[in-house]
Amino acid sequence: MTPIGALSPALPPGFASPATAAKPASAEAFRSFLMGSIQEVNGMQQDAEKAMNTLMTGGDVLPAEVLTSVQKADLSLKLLMQVRNKLVAAYQELKDVRI
Amino acid sequence: MHTALDISASALVAQRARLDAIAGNIANMSSLKDETGKVKPYEARYVVFQTDEGIATRDGAVGVKVSAVKQETVPPLYKYQPQHPLADENGYVAYPNIDLNSEFVDALEATRAYEANIGVIEISKNMAAQTLRIAG
Repeated sequence: MTPIGALSPALPPGFASPATAAKPASAEAFRSFLMGSIQEVNGMQQDAEKAMNTLMTGGDVLPAEVLTSVQKADLSLKLLMQVRNKLVAAYQELKDVRI
Repeated sequence: MHTALDISASALVAQRARLDAIAGNIANMSSLKDETGKVKPYEARYVVFQTDEGIATRDGAVGVKVSAVKQETVPPLYKYQPQHPLADENGYVAYPNIDLNSEFVDALEATRAYEANIGVIEISKNMAAQTLRIAG
């Protein structure tokens, strides 16, 4: 049997493999990554809200653009929630370890 | 991650602009003067699209944007109306040469293209939702 490590990753060249991309240099790096993601999601939500306001107040913006930005904000929020759920689950798992 | 959505949205905007131009062409099919009030029959306007490097993935997929709105140059339709205030010395009035049939076919095409891009958005959305199932 081929050991897992010897298998070539099924990722296209130029695409950082998860092992190298997600390797945290320190806790600080992960923290800044997390905060960055949260800020990005927040920014998208704000963009969506601004676009919605412009549309509703009769601004010159196409509904298609507004709905797309709302959809983008929704998707990134869902992704963030998945990451958060995963983190909480990992914490719960560790909390129940008996010493 | 959302570039596919952005690309599709840019196409929606572009097709919308195309439909706007068609609406303008049909609305002005009897306009005998131009914006400045000069006697000049309306000439059909068409939007020209170009690729938009501003919305691009690292693999080279690009969005679309309106490059320009071009005016058609075709001879006007002359109608013999000697009593008309805008008739020339021979009694002819120059009317815009708008081909309603091709305008409607164009409008239909723009609508279908719009629909197609909505379909792509739907697919991208579903793909993203499916991806989230990995973590769930």
